[in-house]
Amino acid sequence: MGLISSIKIAKRALTRRKTKNFSAILAIALGVTLMVGIQITTDTLENAFLTSLLIREGEVDIRFSNGTGGFLTAADKENISALVTDELAIMPELKSSGPAMIGSQFEPSVSMAGIPFDYDAAFGEFCYWDSGEVMDISTYLTVNTSVLLSSSLAEDMDINKSTELPITLTTEFTINDNVLVGNETVTVGSEVRVNLTIREIFDSRHPGIGASYRGVVFSLEGYQDWISLQDPLRNKDVIGAYLIAYQTDHFTTPIDEALLQERFDALEEILPVKMVNDQEVNVYAIDSARLLYVGIIDLIFTLMSSFLNVLGLLIIITGILLITNVQLMSVEDREFQTGVLRAVGEKRGGIFRSMLFETLFQGVFGGIFGLAGGLIFGQVVALYLVSLFGSGSASVQPIVKESVVIFSVLVGVILGMLTGLLPALRASRVNIVEALRGIKITFEEKSSANFAVIGVLLGIVGIFFLITNGGINKDLQYIWKTSGWDNLLEWENILLGAGFLFSGLGIVFSRYISRTKAFNLTAIVLWGTPVFMFVVAMGNGWITDMSGSSMGILIIAIIEVVIGSVLLVGMNLPYIMRILRNTLIKIRGLKGVAQVAPALISSHKTRSTLTFAIFAVVLTLNVTVASLVATNIDSTIGQSEEDSRGVDLYIQLSAPEYDLPDTSYTNELYKLDSSITDVIGMKTFTPSSTDYTRYVATKDPYDPESGFNPQKNLLPLSFGELRSDQIRGEAQNAADENWRFDFYMFNLPDGVRPSTIDLGASDEELLNQSKTAWDRFFDPDYKMTAYNITFDLENFDISSMGGFSAATLDDVDPILDINGSVVQYPIVFTDSFLLPLGMPIWIAFNTSQFGFPVYQPFTIGGSFDSERAGGWPLSRNMQTEGFSSGSFSGTMGSVYFPERFSNYTDFFGMVDELSPDKREADQFDTFLVKTSYPFDHPGIDTIAQLIEDFTNTRKSGYREIIDDEFMVATATSLYSKLEASLEMMEQMTSFLQIYVNFGLIIGAVGMAVISVRNVAERKREIGMMRAIGFPRYQVMTAALLELMVLGFIGLFIGVVNGLLVNVGFSNMMDVPVVIPWGTIGAYLSFITFIGLLAGAIPGWVASRIPAAEALRYVG
Amino acid sequence: MSQNEAIKMETPQMSQPNESENILLIKGLHKRYNEGKSNEVHALRGIDLEVKKGAMMAIMGPSGCGKTTLLNMIGHLDQNSGGEIHISTIDANKLSDGKMTAFRRDNIGFIFQLFNLFPFLSAVENVETPLLLKGYNSGVAREQAKMLLRDLGMGDRLYHNPLELSGGQQQRVAVARALITDPAIILGDEPTGDLDSTTSAEVMTLFRRINKLNNQTFVLVTHNRWIAEKCDYIVHMIDGKISNVEMGPFEEDK
Ligand SMILES: Nc1ncnc2c1ncn2[C@@H]1O[C@H](COP(=O)(O)OP(=O)(O)OP(=O)(O)O)[C@@H](O)[C@H]1O
Ligand SMILES: [Mg+2]
Repeated sequence: MGLISSIKIAKRALTRRKTKNFSAILAIALGVTLMVGIQITTDTLENAFLTSLLIREGEVDIRFSNGTGGFLTAADKENISALVTDELAIMPELKSSGPAMIGSQFEPSVSMAGIPFDYDAAFGEFCYWDSGEVMDISTYLTVNTSVLLSSSLAEDMDINKSTELPITLTTEFTINDNVLVGNETVTVGSEVRVNLTIREIFDSRHPGIGASYRGVVFSLEGYQDWISLQDPLRNKDVIGAYLIAYQTDHFTTPIDEALLQERFDALEEILPVKMVNDQEVNVYAIDSARLLYVGIIDLIFTLMSSFLNVLGLLIIITGILLITNVQLMSVEDREFQTGVLRAVGEKRGGIFRSMLFETLFQGVFGGIFGLAGGLIFGQVVALYLVSLFGSGSASVQPIVKESVVIFSVLVGVILGMLTGLLPALRASRVNIVEALRGIKITFEEKSSANFAVIGVLLGIVGIFFLITNGGINKDLQYIWKTSGWDNLLEWENILLGAGFLFSGLGIVFSRYISRTKAFNLTAIVLWGTPVFMFVVAMGNGWITDMSGSSMGILIIAIIEVVIGSVLLVGMNLPYIMRILRNTLIKIRGLKGVAQVAPALISSHKTRSTLTFAIFAVVLTLNVTVASLVATNIDSTIGQSEEDSRGVDLYIQLSAPEYDLPDTSYTNELYKLDSSITDVIGMKTFTPSSTDYTRYVATKDPYDPESGFNPQKNLLPLSFGELRSDQIRGEAQNAADENWRFDFYMFNLPDGVRPSTIDLGASDEELLNQSKTAWDRFFDPDYKMTAYNITFDLENFDISSMGGFSAATLDDVDPILDINGSVVQYPIVFTDSFLLPLGMPIWIAFNTSQFGFPVYQPFTIGGSFDSERAGGWPLSRNMQTEGFSSGSFSGTMGSVYFPERFSNYTDFFGMVDELSPDKREADQFDTFLVKTSYPFDHPGIDTIAQLIEDFTNTRKSGYREIIDDEFMVATATSLYSKLEASLEMMEQMTSFLQIYVNFGLIIGAVGMAVISVRNVAERKREIGMMRAIGFPRYQVMTAALLELMVLGFIGLFIGVVNGLLVNVGFSNMMDVPVVIPWGTIGAYLSFITFIGLLAGAIPGWVASRIPAAEALRYVG
Repeated sequence: MSQNEAIKMETPQMSQPNESENILLIKGLHKRYNEGKSNEVHALRGIDLEVKKGAMMAIMGPSGCGKTTLLNMIGHLDQNSGGEIHISTIDANKLSDGKMTAFRRDNIGFIFQLFNLFPFLSAVENVETPLLLKGYNSGVAREQAKMLLRDLGMGDRLYHNPLELSGGQQQRVAVARALITDPAIILGDEPTGDLDSTTSAEVMTLFRRINKLNNQTFVLVTHNRWIAEKCDYIVHMIDGKISNVEMGPFEEDK
């Protein structure tokens, strides 16, 4: 009986109160839309990244190559297929790279590959670039000078779909010949320039085998012809690698990483070995780029999605606020009815149940609509992502997991129920007499005893957090000691402790003193503690130890700041409204408005508070994001000139400069323009993605105990060689004033580094410490302790972010050798965030007569300061290339070692894998140029253009001097580089702002709902207003003003909070605060606009209702 | 605003008092609700009425006969469906909404049948609002509202919300709000409906006093014969028409 009648009442309420239900469903739908949208975008983004990486691997799971370097042969196929089980297909491939010139375009390193025509269908297909149809490559690759071009290279070479084929491509191959010199046979190498014919262009974005070739494709036999030229014996039986496919549709069906890893590990176990020089070496090396990519993507996404989810969570709070508000209004304007129901005998439980049923229905509908909204939202964001990452539309498809569908409806129901619970409870508690008299139900002024128990519990939780510092956790100091304020972890507990304790106290006190006073105390502490931390503690440099999660602190602080400020304003709303009234009442023509609008706001305290709270939360986030970006950009530009240490542009040559008897590239540059004041030449090297023998080892490859695994413990980093004169110039050591290129270091070697990180250190002190670090770097006798830090992509510690955090190494043990003495190695510096200070690495030098890499251990002795853009002409890779270029070594950064080690390696002699000649000491490939112009002067770009013209023009300038048309220079001004990276930063924030702005939409909808409701339920009052002489415009203005005031309160809270958070961050980073007035203005206009729109229409309608009709309106 | 704009109990607000002057003239007034629809209600079916300045008139009639409708028409809270209403020679039908609102504010005081007051304003705020709408300085408005409320015996309830007041107290606040602008006509829809007989008598005595002092016109709807007899004459309505007019003075009133 009870249940059925509840359902009946709920059903009636649902069908009768259409607009009111609509607003509840809309509110829930928006909340769910947001959640689903966030889920879909993160999934999509992850998939887009992964696909754009994996697409390069086509359908390949594992590659087999020669374990000792060199080539495999046709005979290896049988051995390999005997090792592999469950494979779908196996295929040979010969891959290398060389320079290429198409028309006037030159590319210093183009990947070239030869593949057989009869490769298995499991590897996928080639498709025409223009038509998209499947291509039969055997019809084109009939001779060894016929090639196919990938669409990605075609785009780089300014070739489009309508360019007429064939086109000629010029390249170079090495020819080695055995020559008899005396009685000895000597191998003499020379280059031959070859013209190839591009017969067709294939689509390298189409998933499948075509996608794995980004350069030029030959027939296998054709390419073997060319490669065999390197071998004096002209052996044509050469295969670079055998590719294994375990499945055929990597892009449409899920890939089982665990299974692949299992198979990979199993294969490693059974790889055959042979003895070389009494050493056991593997006959085959295997690698799986797929596994590597997946690991890296996981790493990036754990960071990224946790950030998005936190942001999303905060915005969802606004959704919950909106829903609660709507539900609360439903109860309020139905109190009379509820009173009647109760009077005619409905029980409390019945009322409660019928309300809950109603919200259940709303939840289901809201969930379904929200799912639809989320799909659209996801689609829109996915489209935006395409424009942001430009990774091809094929790779950015919204990913909708089944779980998301279930999840969204479930969340809708839960949201509906949860937010309906409080109003339902309130409805069931309605005082019949008061409800019938039309008295608005007010909460009891003093809290009940039950409530006080919760207060006491909260207080205990708070005290627990507070005494964690110094008490439970002895590493932290008590709050009453000054040292108890200097550490982020301590602050985390202080924030949580104060928050809980004073929330509890507020609840308890509200039993004895007035609610307003009690909660004012809570509000002030909640808001004040984080603000104190941001402004005072960070402003005065009290916080010196930044260990701990700054993200966690930020989130806690933002939540407390928002709750505190909303509570404070909400509690004092009547007071604020009184001030507003007394101000407005002085204005002629607004006196009536002044009398009613503020009074209306304070008479609906909860509703009003929830309304401005929505904006307060969203705008706090918005302003935080906007002002952080503004501060960042401003400080980046401001500091870049200082941090670039005088370097204005850098030049990258496609090959090392020629060793000329009378001049050098540097010399020629000076001649070009008199404003060039200094040219610092450097040697750099980037290993190709296929030659893992040049990768950095993160475990000792020679120590059987270390468990070295080439698949997991090699990192594709770039290298740079530095000489004392390049950095110190004429100066001998740190004491000398005039350094040529002194820049900020972040992590410093033992002895130079202070034992605790001193964030208060001045620029000068930091620079001096950095110089001392360089003295160690160039000191041939200096060695640094290797610490027991291991690196594994699989269990990479995100929270420490490798080299990103300043390290003290206090609690890390040094590595000891068998005799128990501390192991020490020479040091290298790095700009890679992956390499922590103190970690040993092994760099492959090639002094072995067998051509195997010989690994030399080093300790990571320091890192460039990426925050301060320290040394960033050097550490430029991250900024230029990003993830889309696919050059991992570029992305992961470089290792720099002193010149004296160059004797052990011919890395720096190599332009590509084909010419391992030694370079002369002054044969550079990278140049940093200082000019007499200021950092952002356009004259620098002119010089850059001049340099490129000088180097890249056919048959003139530098090419004439060296008589080589294959030399290409790229000159980039640091300022343009900075602009590019700022643009990237702006793109990333605009992506974040999609989420944040969604909160604004929720706020706008909230306003509209409240406005419509206000007018609907106040018809009587409006009639009365008209009857006693309110002109129409004042009725309308009153409705408008109410909304505007709430919107502006939200905006005000948001702006103040956002700026305070920003002040904290600027203090922490020691940069001046920048207030994004433009953005704040935009929000102001937005709120004004929405307020006008949402308020004006219902207000106008209201003012038109004939007073007599309005007066008859009840409930 | 100056002090002499305080309620002028002695001098009438409009043109010179003239016993024979009609302050309200209604000719052939009709009102149809939901005009043209199937649920059309012909609430007023041709009302002709003259009310002299300073008169105190009662309207009586069964429930649903159109009393409230007639009051709303007089106060121009709603559009009529035919006929004329002149208030002190002004045909309010010809005024714009803005002018009509100002005219109503300055010349007509309302006391409604149900829920009279703004629930979110205190007693004194309710009363001062019409003065604020006239553009009075808020201090002056507050003082006048207080004075009037004290006059009506509400001096100790100035800052209470309507919901904290008894029905009679609420009604007195509503009366104060209707009187504060010193209007020429006061329209009361069962102004004593919720009150006990003693309080009702008090309110009626108050009305009579104001009526005498200020020469303000009262049009009061009531179901209570005893209340009606406190007025100068009684207009009886049945079915949207005036059935007869009973002239006073009534015996009991003497
Ligand atoms: N807005 C409206 N729409 C339709 N009909 C209406 C409307 N207002 C009033 N009526 C009808 O007009 C007639 C007169 O109503 P009115 O309120 O004037 O009666 P009344 O004499 O004041 O009655 P009571 O003494 O009960 O207050 C009634 O039949 C009523 O149903
Ligand atoms: Mg009536």
